Amino acid sequence: MRVDISYKFIVGFIVVVASIVLLNLVVPYLGIPEQWQQLFAVACAILVGLVFGWFFSKRFTSNIRVLNGTVERLSRGDLSSAVELPATFFPDETVDLAASLNRVVESLRELVSTISSSSLKVADSAQGLSATSQQMTASSHEIAKTIEQISKGAETQAEMVEKSSRLIKEMAMSIEVIAASANKVSVSASDTAETAQAGGEMSRATIAKMKQVLEKVESNGEQMAAFGTQVQKIGKIVDVITGIAGKTNLLALNATIEAARAGEYGRGFAVVAEEIRKLADSTGASAGEITELIETIRSEAQKVQQSMKESVQGIDAGREAVDNTGKAFEAIIKTALGTKAKATGIAELAQKQTEGASDMVVAIEEIARVAEDNAASTQEVSAATEQQTASMEEMAGAAQVLSELAESLLEVVKQFRLAGGKAE
Amino acid sequence: MDQLLAFQLGSETYGLEVTHIQEVIEAPPFYYIPRAPASLLGSINFHGSILPVLDLATFLGFGEGINDPRIIVLTHDDAQLALAVSAFAGIVSFATEDLLPCHEDQGHSACIRAVLACRGEMINLLDLDRLLGSLENL
Repeated sequence: MRVDISYKFIVGFIVVVASIVLLNLVVPYLGIPEQWQQLFAVACAILVGLVFGWFFSKRFTSNIRVLNGTVERLSRGDLSSAVELPATFFPDETVDLAASLNRVVESLRELVSTISSSSLKVADSAQGLSATSQQMTASSHEIAKTIEQISKGAETQAEMVEKSSRLIKEMAMSIEVIAASANKVSVSASDTAETAQAGGEMSRATIAKMKQVLEKVESNGEQMAAFGTQVQKIGKIVDVITGIAGKTNLLALNATIEAARAGEYGRGFAVVAEEIRKLADSTGASAGEITELIETIRSEAQKVQQSMKESVQGIDAGREAVDNTGKAFEAIIKTALGTKAKATGIAELAQKQTEGASDMVVAIEEIARVAEDNAASTQEVSAATEQQTASMEEMAGAAQVLSELAESLLEVVKQFRLAGGKAE
Repeated sequence: MDQLLAFQLGSETYGLEVTHIQEVIEAPPFYYIPRAPASLLGSINFHGSILPVLDLATFLGFGEGINDPRIIVLTHDDAQLALAVSAFAGIVSFATEDLLPCHEDQGHSACIRAVLACRGEMINLLDLDRLLGSLENL
């Protein structure tokens, strides 16, 4: 049952007054002399007042002292324990105050622990931020280097583009030279074709003349064959003569034998027979010489025929060769015409290439402009990157400061002692 | 002075006295003789009489197969026979004292009676009696 302090004092006063009144009523019945009755009543009243006053003030001051001690501890930052007043049947404002204090302590404890954990997190985050900003600084340094390389590359590109432009101009000139050469080739090819045509006609004329020669050679061969036949006829006649000579010889032999048998009477006959035999012998020898001559003539005629055959074959081969020459000339004409067409095509293509090359020169100049723009942009990016790097470094510094601040905050918070004696 | 007819038998030169020779002729067509030995070429019609022809080179062993032979017809006194030889070399005159004796074995086998040196050439004189004698045994 809650009783306010003021009501407690009022109750005390009422109790003291009531005790005085009661004593005044009770005292006459105690046998105390009259003159002492008043004194006794007063004394008893004072006693009652003292007892009540001591009791009340004792409880009150003890509670106040406890509260005072608690506040003292709070002022030192000790939030470890709650306020605990002795139990009473009649709680009053001190109990309220103690409860309020306990709530304050609780709130402070939560606050401090929150601050502590937050400052730890802040410190961690600041360190992470610092590391990240350092990494970013490094990265932006690398970016700056890369951009520098890109810038150099862009310069190189510009040079290369200039070179390419020059080369393409030279190429265009070369292509013009090629076109001129192709025109010349075309002219030469048509000349070649005309010459080859003339050559073909000449080879045809040659073939005709060779045919005439061949016919003459063939008729000569036929004449030679007829001659050979005539010579063979002579040979037959000579054979007949040879046979006659042999028979004459035999007859002479027989005559000689007859003469020998006739003895002395046949001597003259033997001389005649010998003469006949000699004549037959010389006739035979002459016939043999004629036969030899005929053999020689025949072999010579055969050789002539053979060589004529060879000539005919050679002429055939020559005609074939001339034919081939004619064909070759025709092929040359075809090739020359083809060459002419191709050379004209090359000249046209070279013309187109020249146009393409000038287009390429224009395009490459455009590329050069773009490359220069790129180089300028790269320089701008480089400057921006440097600014970014500086900002990053500032951010890193700020993160460092933040980290230090978090550290000092943590130091401050550590002065508070929470439950368990630990600054959490 | 006697005379002989020189003739060729293969590469050998033989000779025969003209007194033994009736006539020399070119080879007429031969008539086939049945069952005759290889050295008998056949028979010929010589002026109406039938004469066998002996291939002398084959008979004496100087090879065989003469192309276009010449024929020597012997006199009736010697034999009814004709000899086929390779070729005639001509009439040669000789004295009997110029004849040289020949080797005995060679004379028997090749029917050589004597040898005559003539113009740097040796002529074997045919031993006609021995030839006809050996023909008896044919």
